[in-house]
Amino acid sequence: MSHDWQPDFEQLVDEHQSMVFSLAWRMTGDRGLAEEIAQDVFMELDKHLGKIESPQHACFWLRRVTMSRSADALRRRRVRGVDLWVEMDESHGMRVEERVSPLGVRLEQLLATLPEPQRAALVLRYQEDLTPEEIAVTLAAPLATVKSHLQRGLKLLRAKAANHLKEYVRGA
Amino acid sequence: MEDFEQELREAFARRPAPPSLKRKLMEKRRAQRRPRPAVVWQRLAAVLALAAVLGGAMEWRHQEEERRKGEAAREQVLTALRITSHALDQVNTRLAAHDREQE
Repeated sequence: MSHDWQPDFEQLVDEHQSMVFSLAWRMTGDRGLAEEIAQDVFMELDKHLGKIESPQHACFWLRRVTMSRSADALRRRRVRGVDLWVEMDESHGMRVEERVSPLGVRLEQLLATLPEPQRAALVLRYQEDLTPEEIAVTLAAPLATVKSHLQRGLKLLRAKAANHLKEYVRGA
Repeated sequence: MEDFEQELREAFARRPAPPSLKRKLMEKRRAQRRPRPAVVWQRLAAVLALAAVLGGAMEWRHQEEERRKGEAAREQVLTALRITSHALDQVNTRLAAHDREQE
């Protein structure tokens, strides 16, 4: 922990905007909503800047608050009876050159069909490369629960991929 | 499973944030830090109201002090008049007694 570290808001935005936006987008499936969530998260960070102690703390704080805000947004939409995750394709404003691969797009679409807790665990595992222990801390959930979500989510996603993406999955 | 997990890592790589995100954020932050005109007017009105209340209180206190001084002066005059009246009564009584002795 570096005690001399002074948080610089603009630098933190530059460093973490992609992470925050991607987490929110994968959790909600709505590019516009993800941008709104990212803005809220960073404005919240601005208010709490004095309490941020290190770059690692900033990253952890941003992940935790983004996941929490995304869950809130999904809950609000459910209450209003709106179903997010209509589709994740070019209609959401992503430029074609930003696309990873057709398989990536299909896997994201399949991820959208998973229950929210499994989706959260898988996104943190495979987007952020977090360990189950780190995911448990980020989501404030018991480790056993996170491991279960990861296991079930991965199994379900693999089964869906085997059914729908036989032509893409390597070694399937 | 490892191949599949590798596919997931590639598929779930971070996506670039929209270029507008940072611009909007910085604008929003600037706007929040800049006092809005309505707030400036509200603050000015609050300061003026406070000044009026303080001025009124000081004026009331000054008038109250003047009134209290006036009351004290009036009391002093009345006391002096009472003493004078008493002294005159005594003189009058003595003169009356003296007149009776002369007769």
